Amino acid sequence: MDAHELSQGWMFFLYQFPLLNSIMMPVIAAVVASRLCDNEHKGQTLKLLNTVMPAGRLFTAKFLCGALYMLAAVLLQLVVIVAVAYAVGFMGTPPFDKLFYYLLFTTAVNLTILLLQQVLSLLFVNQMVPLTVGLIGGLAGLFIMFFPQNLERLFLWGYYGVLMFVGMDWDRVTRITDFYYTPVDWAGFISLAVMFCVIYIIGRALFVRKEM
Amino acid sequence: MLFRTLWAERMKLRHSPVWLAFIILPVLPAIMGTFNYLQNIDILQDQWYSLWTQHTLFTCYFFLPAIIGVYCSYLCRLEHINHNWNSVMTAPVPVAYIYLSKLITASVMVLLTQIWIGVLFVVSGMLSGLAAPIPPELPEWLLYGAVGGIVICALQLCISFVIRSFAIPVGIALIGGVVGLAALVKGYGVWFPYSLLCLGMRANHPGGPMQCSTEQFVMNGIFYLIFCIMFAVVWLKKRDVVAR
Repeated sequence: MDAHELSQGWMFFLYQFPLLNSIMMPVIAAVVASRLCDNEHKGQTLKLLNTVMPAGRLFTAKFLCGALYMLAAVLLQLVVIVAVAYAVGFMGTPPFDKLFYYLLFTTAVNLTILLLQQVLSLLFVNQMVPLTVGLIGGLAGLFIMFFPQNLERLFLWGYYGVLMFVGMDWDRVTRITDFYYTPVDWAGFISLAVMFCVIYIIGRALFVRKEM
Repeated sequence: MLFRTLWAERMKLRHSPVWLAFIILPVLPAIMGTFNYLQNIDILQDQWYSLWTQHTLFTCYFFLPAIIGVYCSYLCRLEHINHNWNSVMTAPVPVAYIYLSKLITASVMVLLTQIWIGVLFVVSGMLSGLAAPIPPELPEWLLYGAVGGIVICALQLCISFVIRSFAIPVGIALIGGVVGLAALVKGYGVWFPYSLLCLGMRANHPGGPMQCSTEQFVMNGIFYLIFCIMFAVVWLKKRDVVAR
């Protein structure tokens, strides 16, 4: 890597990882949620569990369990980012505030997608449905990154792009890529939080009313 | 006997909407990829070839292997639940036929998906007003893509036979797709089963020749296919049935 690339290394990572996350994380969330919920369908243990704890608490407990895995995935990613940055020799001190935002935003999107996947995995015995939704959502989320941001905001899987805070300029003549920080989209973060609340309230109610 | 086993597979899938996933998945890149192509038409100047990369790039690297994984998981889940392995393994059917019937069922779905991708590509190109004739290589891309897809089916079925979870094989397929991309970039695509799909479809380089010779591509595909069939037969013969 040349000096220009090393000076932009942190921004390069914070630009590339949300793209990578929009491919990987929806599928990982679908797999984690399906794994946690399918066990109960297979063993027909939901009724049994419901006799020892309220369905609402079971829903929350399953979500927290899945959330730990998703959080661990992002933390591991951060460790890899910092380790590689030091190994390669990126210039400047690590931008701790930006890395914190990355952790916050990626976890927030992951958990909202995980919540949706959990609702689907609990409601449908056939796990093909939630996994297909996860895959198609991930694919659409990736493509929608190349669309105007107003469209991205309407689509849960597009929030990896909405909450990205690094932009890129590619000069066609010189073929030099320049990265730059953009303002954090707090309105996007709030709309994601609203989505989370809506999915939680509706999903939990649907699960509680479902025949176990 | 094989035909009857195949018929049984077909009956198991009757009225199941699993095929819908394969219809919907290629529609997304067809719509969004075409839109993206039209937005960047000044950079993407190779007409049909540029449009092909937009349609296939992300799909066949990551999402098609994963959706094949979902389908294979579903085919095996039918046996994993309700003690069905007991019924299947005591039926007077050679174990190879049990695996082959599932493989053929999944392969037919892959072939239909490839045809669907081709139809969507041609329609999108015409609607985009591309003046050049449709690339004569299109059937070749689709056929070799189908070969790569069938190899992934064979492998995913083996994984779903061994791992009794629905979701974990799908995760493995996604990881396979990501590692496959790395293998393809490094020039080892033909040696890695998950890379064969995008290598065959020329997703990243539609205008030129394949990264390897056609013979090598076909030979490696056949090798992985035979390996998977042998593995599945040995696994079904040697392992005691665990039915839940």
